[in-house]
Amino acid sequence: MKTTPVNDEQRAKAFAPTKKPDVVQRQKLAVRYHVEDFNVDDRPRRFLEAFAAILRHSNYQFALDHFIRMSAKCSRCATQCQVYLATGDTDDIPCKRSELLLSVYRRHFTLAGSLRGRLLGTGHLTDEKIQEMAESFWNCTACRRCSMECPAGIDHALITHLGRYILSEIGIAPRALVVSTREQLEGKTGNTSAVPVPALLDTLEFLEEDMKEELHVDIKFPVDIKNAEYVFFPAVSDFLMEAETLMGIAAVFTATGDSWTTGTGYFDGINYGLFYSDRILERVVTKIDVETRRLNGKKVLIGECGHASRSAKYFLPAHCGGKDALPVINIMEYTYGAWKAGKLKLRPNAITDRVTYHDPCNISRQKWILEQPRELLKAICADYVEMTPNREDNICCGGGGGTVSIDEIRPYRTAVGGLAKANQIRATGARYIVAPCANCKKQLRELVEDQGIDAEVVGLHDLLYKAIIFDPAMIVEPETEEDAVEEVKPDATGSADK
Amino acid sequence: MDAFLEFATGPLFRLTFAIMILGLVRILVLDLIGMFEAYRRAGDKTIPWKLTLSRTLEWVFPVKRVISHRPVYSVIAILFHIGLLVTPIFLFAHVQLWRDGLGFGWWTLSPGLADTLTLATIALGVLLFLGRVGSRDARSLSRKQDYLWPLVLIVPFITGYVCANLGVSPALYRLSMLVHVLSGELIFVLIPFTKIAHCVLMPLSQLVSTLAWKFPARVDEDVCTTLNKEGAPV
Ligand code: SF4
Ligand code: SF4
Repeated sequence: MKTTPVNDEQRAKAFAPTKKPDVVQRQKLAVRYHVEDFNVDDRPRRFLEAFAAILRHSNYQFALDHFIRMSAKCSRCATQCQVYLATGDTDDIPCKRSELLLSVYRRHFTLAGSLRGRLLGTGHLTDEKIQEMAESFWNCTACRRCSMECPAGIDHALITHLGRYILSEIGIAPRALVVSTREQLEGKTGNTSAVPVPALLDTLEFLEEDMKEELHVDIKFPVDIKNAEYVFFPAVSDFLMEAETLMGIAAVFTATGDSWTTGTGYFDGINYGLFYSDRILERVVTKIDVETRRLNGKKVLIGECGHASRSAKYFLPAHCGGKDALPVINIMEYTYGAWKAGKLKLRPNAITDRVTYHDPCNISRQKWILEQPRELLKAICADYVEMTPNREDNICCGGGGGTVSIDEIRPYRTAVGGLAKANQIRATGARYIVAPCANCKKQLRELVEDQGIDAEVVGLHDLLYKAIIFDPAMIVEPETEEDAVEEVKPDATGSADK
Repeated sequence: MDAFLEFATGPLFRLTFAIMILGLVRILVLDLIGMFEAYRRAGDKTIPWKLTLSRTLEWVFPVKRVISHRPVYSVIAILFHIGLLVTPIFLFAHVQLWRDGLGFGWWTLSPGLADTLTLATIALGVLLFLGRVGSRDARSLSRKQDYLWPLVLIVPFITGYVCANLGVSPALYRLSMLVHVLSGELIFVLIPFTKIAHCVLMPLSQLVSTLAWKFPARVDEDVCTTLNKEGAPV
């Protein structure tokens, strides 16, 4: 992966603080993203208190001990970070970013470190260091590419994750994330996009009508069905922004006939806790558990969203019942399984334009879902190309780790964080970029726009929607006079191919 | 000087060797205890063993990753590690000492191979040092000890080579031998307390990271109670 670093002018633009000077003054330290108003007094002490409390009740300490003994400072990780490659600023080398927190740990939480620090009177935590961490940890997209390349096995994403958690405990967290989470946990609507139930129902009804008109098939969005096999949690923003993805998913279920449902009690897969606070992560994930059990569903089904999938899959068992936790499956796994089992028929070459696939870090880095979407795409696309590198070695869209939700750092995301991705996309010459993740979709759309790339970002199910062959018995008579003169669409039946 | 040399090869050797072994055992045990404790507290006890193991093997035998990035630097680093481990452990003269002391020995290197390995290790150590000085990335990360280590590590190799191969005067021989022994012992003592600890901790790394992501249940309540934040809004 080669990337020419951004020049000074681009850099200045990408890193410019978005805050008004008076806000900066009030908060003492400038950060580029908006932070809630918070207590500015005695921050180092409060940081250390929060750090201590977290170490006491969570599982980080042994890993920090291991990491401080291991770090070889070999700079191998530098070859992997799309942020460092774009800025060329050695402060963005993953090992150096991690060192910000590890040095605090060493100085204040290890015997040797605190003795040394006290003897020499150096190294104690200052406001400036907190500032540096606040900036640096939110430059990282938590993509974990660097961790894969570290011979010492140092997990920078874990360190960044912990750093953000501690910062959030003293009030330093991007406002965009906090406000959404507050609505999700304490607001009236109970979800991050503040979608009220009546609006949800309206949207679903509208989509059903749309699909009937387009495909002449009665496709339903079941709501609040008890005992369904799958209870569905997409990123709630999909209801506002990814209609086509949702329609594709509903179409798949109609074709397979399996039972699924959306719950009106809770219908948001987003979990920003994964990005800034473990305790929030736990509270959010519990909502999914409660809703699925309320409906007596068998499995949790997460829509096209990387972090929603990862947070449910890995943290439902952690916080909601261990091995008795509800099984979690991603929609791509479901669709693939149905297709393999012959329950879903797809029309070959339904998509003629060139298509490429973007691996969302959260579902590919651990080798969780790699081949399923590729096989599905190859089944319906005439011209499928890979980006390089791909699969578990993929490059992050540049908006990972929650940064995509922070609108005020868009210049940073599309000029710096996403630079390598933009080059990668350009090289494929693809018309469609399939990105099965709400975060990636938003970031990539902004990226192609800001970088002037002529390509469209879609979900996997957006394309599948155009390729499903329904059982002829499902085709309903057109209702209006206008429709009646139209032929049944070949798209829907596949009859044109035969 | 002879008495000193005797002390260095006798009691001092045993002491420093013991410090190294005990020190390594200590950190290994601490690491393992930490891992067990984390596992015990984890809400989710499933471990992706296959993935963890394959990633561990990838780094213990780092062939796959070498070619992909910084091939030259990586090959140098790997060969250096091989030289560091193989030469002292399988050197005929060293094994002979063990045989005298313990009553048993093991397979040894032929003198020719031992010399080649020694010289190669010295050269590779110098190259590693230069690599660190020359690379902007590495320079920006390096602490003093990171520059120093490759140089310190090759001192016993240089002096060992002098003693074994060069026809130096007896006085110079004894001096080299003393430096050889003392520098080796210095390294023994430092191993458990520096990044060289990776020699025993490395195989655990992937598992440590996997386990660290296994969060305990109820962090919310516990952390809030400790920080006096119960019921505080998000
Ligand atoms: S690869 Fe690992 S040891 Fe090397 S510099 Fe990066 S984090 Fe440090
Ligand atoms: S996690 Fe990704 S963005 Fe963050 S330091 Fe590592 S490679 Fe860079």
